[in-house]
Amino acid sequence: MSSDVILALRNATKLYAGVPAIENVDFELRRGEIHALVGENGAGKSTLTKVMAGVVTLTSGTMQVDGVVVAPRTPLEARHLGIAMVFQENSLVPTMTVAQNLFLGQEKFYNRLRGIYIAAQQFLQSLNFDVTPTATVGLLGSAKKQMVEIARAVLHQAKVIIFDEPTATLTPEEKKYFFDLVRDLKHRGVSIIFISHALEEALLLADRITVLRDGKHVVTDDAAKFDRARIVQAMVGRDLSNTLYGTRKTTVRPAGARVLTVQNLKMAPMVRNNSLSVFAGQITGVFGLVGAGRTETFKVVAGVMKRDFFHGGEVILHDKPVRYRVPAPAVRAGIAYITEDRKVEGFFETMSVARNIYLGLLAKMPGGRFILSGREADKVGKGWGERLKVRSTGNDAKVVELSGGNQQKVVIAKSLVQDPDLIIFDEPTRGVDVGAIVEIHELIQGLADQGKAVVVISSYLPEIMALSDRILVSRQGKVVEEFSALEATEEKIMYAAVH
Amino acid sequence: MISALKSFADRLLGRGDATITVPSFDGALKPNQILETAETVAQFDAAEDIATDGKAIYIADGSVIRRFAASGTTEVRRFDRAISALCCLPDGGIAVALDGREVRVFPTPAAANATVMFTDPSMNAVNALSSAKDGTLIATDGSSARPTGEWVYDLMERGRTGRVLALDIANGRVRMMAEGLHYAFGACTAGDAIFVSESWRHRVIAISSDGSQRAVLDNLPVYPSRLSPAASGGFWLTAFAARTQLVEFVLRENAYRRRMMAEIDPDYWIAPKLRSGQSFLEPMQGAHLKTMGVVKPWAPPRSYGLVIRLNESGVPLYAIHSRVDGVNHGIVAAVEMDGVLFALAKGSGRLLRAPLTMIEKELRA
Repeated sequence: MSSDVILALRNATKLYAGVPAIENVDFELRRGEIHALVGENGAGKSTLTKVMAGVVTLTSGTMQVDGVVVAPRTPLEARHLGIAMVFQENSLVPTMTVAQNLFLGQEKFYNRLRGIYIAAQQFLQSLNFDVTPTATVGLLGSAKKQMVEIARAVLHQAKVIIFDEPTATLTPEEKKYFFDLVRDLKHRGVSIIFISHALEEALLLADRITVLRDGKHVVTDDAAKFDRARIVQAMVGRDLSNTLYGTRKTTVRPAGARVLTVQNLKMAPMVRNNSLSVFAGQITGVFGLVGAGRTETFKVVAGVMKRDFFHGGEVILHDKPVRYRVPAPAVRAGIAYITEDRKVEGFFETMSVARNIYLGLLAKMPGGRFILSGREADKVGKGWGERLKVRSTGNDAKVVELSGGNQQKVVIAKSLVQDPDLIIFDEPTRGVDVGAIVEIHELIQGLADQGKAVVVISSYLPEIMALSDRILVSRQGKVVEEFSALEATEEKIMYAAVH
Repeated sequence: MISALKSFADRLLGRGDATITVPSFDGALKPNQILETAETVAQFDAAEDIATDGKAIYIADGSVIRRFAASGTTEVRRFDRAISALCCLPDGGIAVALDGREVRVFPTPAAANATVMFTDPSMNAVNALSSAKDGTLIATDGSSARPTGEWVYDLMERGRTGRVLALDIANGRVRMMAEGLHYAFGACTAGDAIFVSESWRHRVIAISSDGSQRAVLDNLPVYPSRLSPAASGGFWLTAFAARTQLVEFVLRENAYRRRMMAEIDPDYWIAPKLRSGQSFLEPMQGAHLKTMGVVKPWAPPRSYGLVIRLNESGVPLYAIHSRVDGVNHGIVAAVEMDGVLFALAKGSGRLLRAPLTMIEKELRA
């Protein structure tokens, strides 16, 4: 092993119940490099990095750190070896403050909170992270939680930091800060492993890129030798470059009947006098930076959140004013909200695929049911699983065992089984691999073609532009601009979102 | 008792009838500056209505009918009273409403004598005329309580005395088709029905031959006015002002409104206007109008200009705007002739010209 290599895996294999998650993978991380790890969901990226971080142990093969063979069995052991991981799933303690989370595991016998807060404040400021150290983590948005995760890894002075989908919840501005931070860490000699589904980020940030497919190593090369098409082809074994965020739209669907009107909606402090309309047979894209009030507006529409009690505005569905305080009546009225946070709000992870989908159907039934039919659940689950191409070991497979893309399909199936008229997709492809992105996009387009009113909330501009017939730009709690997909450009949309 | 309590709770919480919300300009009504940048082809002192016979545009300018064609503007005829509505008839004649109380039909625009006169005493504020298929003339009588010039009083008094009348040119009879409308302002034949603008309810309704009514276009963000047919099918609907939350609020506050009407000069009422920006005494409409001395186009409008293109079913296809920072406000009529849309901005007194090819090109850009 060259002295230039800080971490290496040789013939790494990890079996789950006899099924290989990674198989004979060779991987090398050089000192002070940014190494992007890309691949479809289920390709083995997370398993590979979890081995490095001590979350799981190898079934066979070896791991070396600075030329020494190691086998960390816990994250703490990995941390002692200088390896820290920022997980895709949030690993913060929601009831503790930001500062307490940062210093968790490093507490002294006697801890003075004030001292911790001051140290945390100084540290967060040094990273240029706008996070209040005294804030309770559970009350933070996902972007800020991600910042705390990153800050914690940096604080541990790791030699190797592994980021699993670090930018999925960040706004473009926050991403820029994050990229600067990663480059800064690199200059300090820290080696970075970076998992991302946003291939542009890998191309932009990484020195080298490794592509995994079906648990096997496909290729490792300098980032400069890759382009988007080559990465995608290596990832999926086929050319998807024309189907994913493909050519610019030349036609848009005409607007059908007005399905939803939001008038002067208020939900302090996130939604400020917001007004918009959604039409049948069209995809209405809603773009905005984190904190623009997009999600909150549509959560109010779907009864997940409540508008301001006094003069909170009006939601009009099919020309009738409605006000849903809980989601059930909204579901029965034909509104489906597909959450951005599938792990928390989207499914019951220890329940089977079929049962999760069946739950969606039960939600639509007035008054609920006392007796549940296992046969009906299997039938519904199987039908929708096939329709949406959910790849699982069977109807009884637990959702937690599925890849991110397949989990997202279960969440979508759970809503579509309700046969809604208005379908709100909130970040539909966040943390989803490129193959599943294409399938989810085709599904969304198909819904609009069927005459459904579709809303797509996304922070990813190419996605908004590829899907939408009309694009609403949200800023500071209200829609500030509308573009037809024919006239929209990334520059115009971003300008409206920022200025 | 229960309804009184409910009403009180609604007012307190801002819900039900007391919901003070305004729909946004989006979808087909997405804002642009096409109307503001349209060519001004003529300017008038007291423009009220326009009509076309396919060869020229006729303009009601105070008590004068003017003719606008490629050669310029000429005076056609003059009356002793102000003209409140104008309509070219299929047989080459012209119908004129005078002071909202009388309708005269002439065989030609310049003919000395009227072929028929309608002087029904119930007519009070005839503000639009339209030719129907069966040879009758459809007239909208905005208010039985206020003359045409006092439309803002009718709004502030929450008037609902508008009517639609069928004027039979053959026998001189007047037949009422609908009443109790919240300011009827503009009508146009649509198949077997008649589309009518109901300004104070922000909608267009269809009145069938049996007298039944249904909303064709509801909850508009504007006060709709006259309708005219589009050459390729469908209609042009104009709007003379846009709604704001502040005006909606004032309309629900009866005591405040009464006192405002009693004590304040009507020019400075919190009410829609045909033009604005003339005086610092004008009320701000709920938000800052200017940033760094520049009027924000998206600010809540005191006056506005809008023409909406509707299809045959009354569904909006697109709209052309003169926004808050513009001057072509108070659009009261629009007609199409030879692939060109002519719109009358009563606020600025301008006759505007916008070729349809230009509109479509701009909307596509």
